[in-house]
Amino acid sequence: MKTQGKLLYNWPEDGFDESLKFNDSSQLGNAPYDVAIIGAGIVGCALAYKLSMYKLKILLLDKNYDVGEATSKGSSAIIHTGFDAPVDSIESTLVTKASREWPELAKKLKIPFEECGALLIAINDEQKKQLKNIYDKAIKNGVTDIQLLDPKQLREIEPKITDEALGGILIPRESIVDPFSASIAYSEIALSNGVDIIFGTEIIGIENANENVKKLVTRSGIKINTNIIVNVAGLGSEKLAKLYNGESFDTNPRRGQFLVFDKYSRMNINHILLPVPTNETKGVLVIPTIFGNLMAGPTAEDFLHGDNSITDTTIEKLQSLLDEASKLYPGLKKQPVISTFAGVRCNCSQGSYWIRCHDGHPGIMTVAGIRSTGITSSPTLAEYLVEELSNKCGLNLEINTNATDSRPKSSWPGWWKRPFANGELFKKCPDYGMVVCYCEQISRGEIIDHLDSQLKPVTLDAIKRRTRAQMGRCQGFDCQINIAEIISEHSDIPLNKITKRGPGSELIPDTKTMKNEGMDESNKSF
Amino acid sequence: MNPTNHFRVVIIGAGPAGIGAAIALSKHGIKSIALIERSDKIGGVPSLYKKKKGGVRTFIRWSRGGIPVFGEEYVNSLKRKLVKTDVKVWLQTQVIEIETKERKLSIINPIEGKMSLTADAVIMACGSREKTMSERGWLTGARPIRVFFTKQLLQLIDGNDLLPMRNPVIIGSDLIGYAAAAKLKVAGAGDAIIMDKRRRPKCSYVERLYFRRWSQPNFRGVDVKAVEVVGSKTASGIRLSKDGDFIPCDGIVVCGELVPNSELALLGQLKVELPSRKPVVGRNYQMSESGWFSAGNMLGGFRGAEWCYYNGRRVARAVVNYLSQPL
Repeated sequence: MKTQGKLLYNWPEDGFDESLKFNDSSQLGNAPYDVAIIGAGIVGCALAYKLSMYKLKILLLDKNYDVGEATSKGSSAIIHTGFDAPVDSIESTLVTKASREWPELAKKLKIPFEECGALLIAINDEQKKQLKNIYDKAIKNGVTDIQLLDPKQLREIEPKITDEALGGILIPRESIVDPFSASIAYSEIALSNGVDIIFGTEIIGIENANENVKKLVTRSGIKINTNIIVNVAGLGSEKLAKLYNGESFDTNPRRGQFLVFDKYSRMNINHILLPVPTNETKGVLVIPTIFGNLMAGPTAEDFLHGDNSITDTTIEKLQSLLDEASKLYPGLKKQPVISTFAGVRCNCSQGSYWIRCHDGHPGIMTVAGIRSTGITSSPTLAEYLVEELSNKCGLNLEINTNATDSRPKSSWPGWWKRPFANGELFKKCPDYGMVVCYCEQISRGEIIDHLDSQLKPVTLDAIKRRTRAQMGRCQGFDCQINIAEIISEHSDIPLNKITKRGPGSELIPDTKTMKNEGMDESNKSF
Repeated sequence: MNPTNHFRVVIIGAGPAGIGAAIALSKHGIKSIALIERSDKIGGVPSLYKKKKGGVRTFIRWSRGGIPVFGEEYVNSLKRKLVKTDVKVWLQTQVIEIETKERKLSIINPIEGKMSLTADAVIMACGSREKTMSERGWLTGARPIRVFFTKQLLQLIDGNDLLPMRNPVIIGSDLIGYAAAAKLKVAGAGDAIIMDKRRRPKCSYVERLYFRRWSQPNFRGVDVKAVEVVGSKTASGIRLSKDGDFIPCDGIVVCGELVPNSELALLGQLKVELPSRKPVVGRNYQMSESGWFSAGNMLGGFRGAEWCYYNGRRVARAVVNYLSQPL
């Protein structure tokens, strides 16, 4: 018999569905968890997904109010082949292997995935000389399906690239994916296989770390029992590791800013365009998105850990991004920019994919330095972590025959589905005909489907990542308030308490509404 | 094709320009006109300026020597004219695809679902929106909540009686910015700081004088390459990157600087200038394909509702001429 896991939110404010509130450890049952995964980013979600295939009691928790709310939400969304990874590293092994699993995985997760391919373009003689080296390295990394191209072949494949292209390499399996839906799909399947998920819960202490059953202490003072702790907290992992005296490491976050161009721009470019990398950086890419936009980025700016401005954008860097990206595709300067954002790579000074078992105490695992390849490697990294947990931490893996590794077809509302075009669906729910987000053409019905989905979203950004509403060219000009109203109505949260990403980010300050005196209510529109 | 789905003229957008066109076409004796609106009410942007005691009258008619009125009042006067015609109004209806050669439109709404319409002529009166932070090119930094557009401000203050900030910074110094400052003050906020990347406000002296009745915002012209929005969860201020000067606030309104809503035209591969997004129109407001016209703020620029209404009427005359020509 399959039992659905619990989804709980630690929500300090009133006006929130009581049945979803995390108030007490008794909500989680008496037995300790076999594994508690701290950090619901792409790696944490993938690990929960893989572990949910076994008869285990699993907890996935995060201090934010949705999965993938921190580092995972700001990425290039590329599934790398690993053609340019350092040879023979654990990272390159996992990435290369994962890139071959992704087409099948995307079908299981029911998320959009496109093998758009990449073109590495040399624009001067020096770069042209390096192509052979890059080619050889790719072959060594096991990426053998690549092809050296002359300028004519390049332009046949991608006619609008720069006239200065002197040669290049086609890497056909470089792909793009919906990065938001990936974390969501992993965790939805995990949830349906019985994994419990708690949001809004920061761990501020660990008691009995040396014993079999350890206690996680949350900020609100609740204690959660678990046998094994896996720290996949990304930017928060260093702080968390100090709580259990793990081996010390330095998080050394690297910011990557991006420009997002309007749809229609993708009519011009279909491949990921890569410059020839230098020793310092991979350079600025032109990246098609699965949503139909183009992006230019990322920058590479090292930050001190804990700097709050790590996800800010800066004008100098954005302008240089445009200049750099235009060297590959000169038409980019004519395309309207609709948004800019900054993502963070969780680099670790001690090395990439810095993984420690029995870190500080038996049964505690630390995973750090997943850099920018987390989304690509998530399936194989998670598998690797499961093996490590089994081999080194004594986790007993007994297959749960009731568990599923796919999202059921029926419960996958997704932005790529156009329910209004389906007459039968529309007849069942006329809300599919009521478009709320004009730019991305997302209907009220779809938003409500997501609000009713298993991994129930409660914030504006969570709805944005699931539906794409507010992510189009007007950036919420037309729909943000309407969407807030729909969440408010449907989830019974007062409009002024609707948040962007959880308590503290309310749409409206305090609770005071304006005085109602003198309001003329007689004039309603027709 | 079902004959009831064919119209002489389909107008996309029931703001002042679309309504003006519909009324004028009807007066010229054109039967079978469809007016398509994606929101749940007609009137476009002015309909969001609700009539409230002590509220701010926006001067819809001011430039023509009339009296300032509330946007909602103005829309009601248009409605009275519109109901006398037999124009078919479709609310909550979004056009999702167009085929320009056949003048065919795919639409969806909650009543009929997806369906298609054809027309002898189509007028696009899709209006405009305010430039996003990124589109302005000088607003960077964080992306917290409570960075609103004026439209959202109106939906909250006039539509829901909620005050989203007490200590506002307004980005953009045109008429809309000064109107927003006045609206916020009347709703209970303090005087705003209006910031723009220019030495003097864009809004004219006379117009600013008009708004002094409600609020005395401080204009701050900035001469820097960019300013940064500060705030990890909610907007908490603006940092001027040049001297590190910090202006605290509890909310930001991004005002004015209109961009035409020309995405439907782009989708149908009608000619549109990029990155300005202005549709290319020839004489008589014809777009790059025969039988397609554009009206109102979608043409680009910064126009009031009254101008758009009269422009809609002018475009209607051009459409009547077009329809009277032998094919």
